[in-house]
This record gives sequence, structure tokens and C-alpha cells, in this order.
Amino acid sequence: MHSYRFVSFRTAFRTAFGAAFSAALLLCVTACRDAADDRARANGIVDDFGDTLALASPPQRIVSLNPATTELVFALGAGSRLVGRSRWDTYPDSARLVPDLGDGMRPNVEVVLASRADLVLLYASGENRSARDALRRSGVATLAQRFDRIAEFGPAVVQLGRVLGDTMRAHTVRDSVYASLERARVLVEGRPRPRVVWPLWLSPLLAAGRGSFLTDLLVIAGAENIFADIDAPSPQVTFEEIVRRDPDIVLAGPVQAAELRAEPRWRALRAVREGRIAIYDTTLVGRPGVRLGEAALHLASVLHPSAGTGK
Amino acid sequence: MIAFDRVIVRYGGASRAAVDGVSFRAPLGAVTAVVGPNGSGKSTLVRALLGRVPVEAGRISIGGDDVTVLSRREIARRVAVLVQREEPAFPLPVADYVALGRYAHEGPWRATGAVTDPAVADAMETAGATALRDRRTDELSGGEWQRVRIARALAQGGQALVLDEPSTFLDIAHEMAQFELLASLARRGGAVLLVSHQLNLVARFATTIVLLDEGVIVAHGAPDDVMRGEVLERVYRWPLVVSRDPAVGAPMLVPLRAPSTP
Amino acid sequence: MKRWRWVALGAAVVFAVVLGLGAGSVGLAPGDVLAALTGAGDATVRTIVLDVRLPRVALAVIAGAALAMSGATLQGVLRNPLAEPYLLGVSGGAAVGAVVMTAAASVAPALVTAGAMVGAAIAVALVIAVARAAGGRFDPRILLMAGVVVGAFANAAIMIVLANAPASSVRGALWWMMGSLADASWYDVAWVAPLVVLGAGFLWARARDIDVLALGEDAAAGLGADVDRAARALFLAAALLAAATVAAAGLIGFVGLIVPSMARALGARRARQTLAASALTGAALLTVADLLARTLRSPAELPVGAITAVVGVPFFLVQLARIR
Repeated sequence: MHSYRFVSFRTAFRTAFGAAFSAALLLCVTACRDAADDRARANGIVDDFGDTLALASPPQRIVSLNPATTELVFALGAGSRLVGRSRWDTYPDSARLVPDLGDGMRPNVEVVLASRADLVLLYASGENRSARDALRRSGVATLAQRFDRIAEFGPAVVQLGRVLGDTMRAHTVRDSVYASLERARVLVEGRPRPRVVWPLWLSPLLAAGRGSFLTDLLVIAGAENIFADIDAPSPQVTFEEIVRRDPDIVLAGPVQAAELRAEPRWRALRAVREGRIAIYDTTLVGRPGVRLGEAALHLASVLHPSAGTGK
Repeated sequence: MIAFDRVIVRYGGASRAAVDGVSFRAPLGAVTAVVGPNGSGKSTLVRALLGRVPVEAGRISIGGDDVTVLSRREIARRVAVLVQREEPAFPLPVADYVALGRYAHEGPWRATGAVTDPAVADAMETAGATALRDRRTDELSGGEWQRVRIARALAQGGQALVLDEPSTFLDIAHEMAQFELLASLARRGGAVLLVSHQLNLVARFATTIVLLDEGVIVAHGAPDDVMRGEVLERVYRWPLVVSRDPAVGAPMLVPLRAPSTP
Repeated sequence: MKRWRWVALGAAVVFAVVLGLGAGSVGLAPGDVLAALTGAGDATVRTIVLDVRLPRVALAVIAGAALAMSGATLQGVLRNPLAEPYLLGVSGGAAVGAVVMTAAASVAPALVTAGAMVGAAIAVALVIAVARAAGGRFDPRILLMAGVVVGAFANAAIMIVLANAPASSVRGALWWMMGSLADASWYDVAWVAPLVVLGAGFLWARARDIDVLALGEDAAAGLGADVDRAARALFLAAALLAAATVAAAGLIGFVGLIVPSMARALGARRARQTLAASALTGAALLTVADLLARTLRSPAELPVGAITAVVGVPFFLVQLARIR
């Protein structure tokens, strides 16, 4: 009589095999493309995507799609060569005069191409890989950088300086930033180090962890992060945990400080009850960039009001 | 043409078989009717023929060949089955719908039956549906729809036609016309197997009646032999009489009112 | 379907392609676009037209046709005008595969698409297994419910993966889930096109099975169809079309749902007519939707799935109201 089994194991196996085969094929194609890159790597500059950059002469038309690199380009004296920026790049003020090309993450390739740039500076996150592919296929050079830690800032500046053709100036910028960081450290040396909680976002509740440069800044500014034992840059934490760790100071931007003053549960913290909410300038302390030194000094003065500004 | 030989069909896990050792034939040139109360197994027989229910024991054969050795396409070329309800999910022009009947005759990779196939036109002619050619299936009345369905069944080109409760949604005129059509198909040499609860019409048109009750054949033979008061009353569990009207010329069943009604 | 309607559909596709090439976030003069197409003119304009817009429009045409044909097939086989590839869990599975790959961070796009196809294949197998356990036969209602269940399960899996992923990769995964043709390259077109041609060719050849299955399982069996096998083959071909599209362009909804209704409204009746009309309509629709997605808020982009929803929902409501 007729069989009523709907799917045989043969069919299931064939489907799985077909899928696995296609996946393997795609993997091979990817690997082949990587091999070609390895050869070029020996000679040129290698960026944070692992791509090699070999420019014959310094780029004259630069697009920077990242606030950190935009301010660096200006600091390195190449601001006049910028023909495009991302919509978030508003420092220094002269950056606002550079054409706004839209998002820095998943940028609009067409618009970037229309600016006829010879170098595009991208933030090296997975989302920008396809833009990198599209730009390189069209013959435009790309440099993808990512410096999320203070230690990574120095090499990144120097690399960018090499690409722009002014290594000496890059070294000067780097040294100047590190010097002001050192000044901040000296300013608060010997003082008692308060224990700080730094809520970066209120819902979900995210705090700065050891993986973030913000913690490095805190240390330089003479304080301790109560969540320095967590590796992630911005881990999600529970409010109970903050209460348990009993910080001395809550560090927040002006908007956030207003928000948490309005939320009754924050009064469970001794720091809030004692009025020890330190408010800092969020536009200054956002990312590792040229203003790192300024940021450290600012934090130091906010956390240690009696120390003066040390300028 | 179609033969059931000691067929037993049991729905999964049921204690009583839906069809329990049924044997009968539906030969060419005759209208064979299967009748019985609800749940007697009439529709199950049709579904067993379609291969939609598992047959526990016995043999069903078409044209002498066991259905288990025939492919569905071969079966479709010999027998056309009209189930009780059919509603296409999306409307089709009638001509296209009837042409679908040629499915079993085409190679696996051809388009649906050419509307110009002569078999399609013949089928519509025989079923009296030619005038409906250009209408859409969702625009037809009950009677027209049934005629079109029969046309499609005829387009399958087989010698046997099986219908499950074909007159459920038909009025008198359409019902009579349909039975006349079935009778003429049998006269022309086809085998018609009919499942119906319209005992009186069946008595007038069928050559043989098979009376089922709870999966078992209770009576089998010519209408005059099967249409007997005592047997029918027992099977249908309702008081009735069987009379004969000279104008009709066939036994006629008349159910009586319930005895306690004042 | 009347001859002139086919011509109009073809013209609509051509028109959509022309629009898609000529318009974009960068304003280009028609003369420049034409020159670029012939290989002449300014190098940058050539790059924009040939390497950015042309593959994108090509992918929109292919994906639109694939999604529409997949929806048309499923609606016929499952006898339900609400059936579409996403209801059957294909999208859910593909999304899980892709999101898992994306959340693993710094993964090549090719691996993401491979993940999507594997995810879709697993989802289809799961739906079939659930339906088999529930009834064993190819019952449309059971299949639809199994699809919804698998889709819901996939959504839950995605939420869990996203909750634990680093913030930077969440955005990428979300974009993919909203559907986007922005990353289209000739590489994508090169591997999606053969898959779609394969699936579409199979459906075209087996179109009579769709017609017959649309009558109902009993009627189809009576006509001589091997219902289980035919339905399974069609189902898998439709799933292949949907999975290829999802892998290349993320989750674009509503095309598989509404385009077959549009095709039927234009007069398509038999399966081959419906497939062809759906393919053309879907291609034109998605191309125009993508054009809107990249020009409405230029230079920012909207997810194309949102555009198809905005277009699709009113149309569908109108169709629903017309049902007697």
C-alpha cells in the first residue's frame, strides 16, 4: 500500500549536504581572497581590517567618516584636504564647514564616491566591511582604524601621520597628548583615590568596565572604577550590584545626572544621598582622541575639586 | 471495472473498522450505488480508492489490476473521482479548470493541459457545460459548478466515474439532470459508482444498490430487492414504508412521522 | 491574461530599472548615466553607475522576482492567499544563521550569507519534521502553524544572541533584519542569480502541479498527482528562492505576500501565468522600493523592508475588503 512517510532521511541528508557544500564553497572563495592580501602586506601600511595601503603620494582629497579621525586630521594640519566627513564630526568648529556625507557606520558609498576622494578613513568595525569592499573595488584607498584604548592612540596617530605624509607632526601630536596625560596624573598624585561608578547608559544599565579607555582615564584622573574587575568595555550591570559595591562618587553627564536625580531608586546609594554626583563634559570625554589630555585634566578636576586645573 | 474484495479499513486506533470486509463490483455499463446512514463507511470507500486512507486488508482493483501496483497517474487515467466538496483556492476560467483533467495524460514537465485539446471540448459537451466555457469557477451556481466538475472528470478520459454525494447542493432540476447524465454515461458503456443518501433517486437510476451499515454490507442487489421496508427501517433506525408509484415505476421510500407526535 | 497587460508589466520592469539607474543619492544627469553604461564618460560616474547602482538594481530585480515566485508557489500549494515564505519559518531560520555569524564579530560577509542559507535549510527541515510529527501528511494548516512556531522560536533565539552580543554588532544585525540592498555587489549577483534561475526554472516546469494542488489534496490525488512528493518538491524550491534572497539582502517582507495577489488582480489565473506575472511585478516593485529607500532621506538610507511594508499593507487591506 502507499507509504505515508512524508520526508525520507535521504531527502533530509541531501538538503543538509547541499547546504554544507555551498557553505564550504563560500569559505574557499573567502580564503583565496585573503591570500592575495598577505603578499602585499610585507611592503605597505596595514590597517585594523588587515588591509594594506600603499599610496604613491600623500592623499589630497580625504574623507573621514569618524569623529576621532576627523579631529586628528585637523590636528595633523591636513584639515584643508578634507572633502567629506560623517555627520557626527563636529570638532573642531572648522569641521562643520566640511561637507557632511551622512553616516559613518554603513556609509552611503555612492555619496562617498561622488566626493572623488583618494583616501577614505573608516572606523574599523564589522559594519563597515562592505563599504570598505565597495570602495576598494572602485579603486579608492581606505584606511580603517580603531583606537578604543589610550595605548592604541599613539600608534594610530603615527600611522595616520605616515599615510598623510607628515610623520614628524604626528609624533609631536602624540607626545603632546601623552604629556598632558602625565600632567593630569601628577596633579592628583598622592591624593586619596575615590571609588567611582560611571553609568554610561541608564536603561539598560551599562557601566564603564575595564575594557574601556574611560577606566584608563579614571585611573589617570586619580580614581578607581568599582567595576574594574569586569573585562567588557560597557557591561550591563544590575542596580543591586552598584549598591553592594557602594561607590564614593557617581560620575555622569549633565543630562544623565538630572535623570538619575529624578529616579528615586538612586537615592539608595550613599554617594547620591551625600550629593556626590560628579558632572563632566560629555563632549570632551567621548573617545580617545586629540583631546585626551584635556579630558583627563577635566576629569581630575571634577573628581578632585580641591586640586585646581593644573594648566 | 472497479472491484472491492473483502476490504477492511480501520482509522488509526479505532476499535471498530470503518469498512469491515466489504466486497462488491461496479461493472461497466451500469450505475452502482452505495447507500447507508451516516458513518456506515460510504465515504471511506471512496477515500480508500483515492489512496487517502490505509487499507488494512483486502484488495481494491480497477480494470482487473490491484491498485497497489498501479501508479496514481494510471489510476487517474482509468477512474475519475469526484469528492463531495471542492473549492479551488483561487478562481480559474472554466475551460482551464476542465483542462486540468488531462493532468494524468501529459508528460511531467509540460504545461497544464491545452485548453484546445479535443478531449476537453468533448468532455464539456457531454456534461452540458460548453456554454460555461468562459465563465470563472467562483461565479458559478451550485448546479453549474457540479456540471463543470463532471466535465473535468470526463476529461480524464477513463471509463469509470466515482461520485461521493454529488447532489448535496443541487436543486430538483439540476439533481435530475445530473442523474440523467450519469445514466446516459452508463448506457454508453462507462462504469458509474455513486455514493448517495438520496435513496429514491438511486432506486430509479441505479442498476445495483449496495446497502452499508456500520461498515458491513447488509443488502446487495437490484433496487426492487434491496428497497424493503424491514431492512431499511432497521438500518436507518426510523419508521418508514416502501411504496411504489405507477408514474415513477420504481420503489419509493417514505419516512413516517415519529409515533409520539400528536 | 490579456496581451497588453503582459506588455505593460514588462514595460514597468524596464521603467523601474531605468529609474533605479538614473536616480540615487548623488544626482547624475541622464546623459552621464547613458555614457557610463556604454563605458565612456567620467571615471567616477562610471564607477557609481556600473559598480554601485547597476549591481544593486540587478539584485533588486532578481530578489523581487524570487520572493514573488516563492510566495505565488506557496499560496497555491497551501491553498491560502496569506501564505508567504516568511510565515513558514524560512526567514526566521535564515535570520538566526546570519545573526549568529554577525554577532561573532569581524566576520566576512560571505560567511554571513553561508550562515543564512544553512539556517534557512535547518528551519525548513524543522518545519517539515514538526508537521510530520503532528500529522504525517502534507496538511496546509499544520504546515502553516509549524512555520509560525519555528519562526517564533527563531525570533527568540535571535533575541538571546543579540542580548549577549557586543553593542557594535547589534546594529549590523538589526540592519540585516530590516532588509537592505545597500551592500549589493556583482559578487552577490553572481551567486544569487544561478540559485534563483534554478529554483524558478523548476517551478516553471512543475507549474501544473501547483495548479492541481491548488484544487485540494483529494482532488489532486484523484487527478493522478503524487500529492506528497509534488508538494514537497514545490515547497523546497520555494524555500530555496526565499533563502537565497534572505541570504543576499536580509529580511525583506511583504513582497512574497502581496505580489501574487497583485498578479491575480491583473488577471493571472493558471500557475505559469501567476509565476511569470509575479516575477515581473515583484522585480519592478522591489526595484522601486529600493530606489525610494535610498533617495527619500538621502544620504541616509531607509530599510527597504519598511518601504515594502508601507506599500504592501494598504494594498493588502484593499484586497481583504474586496473578499465577498
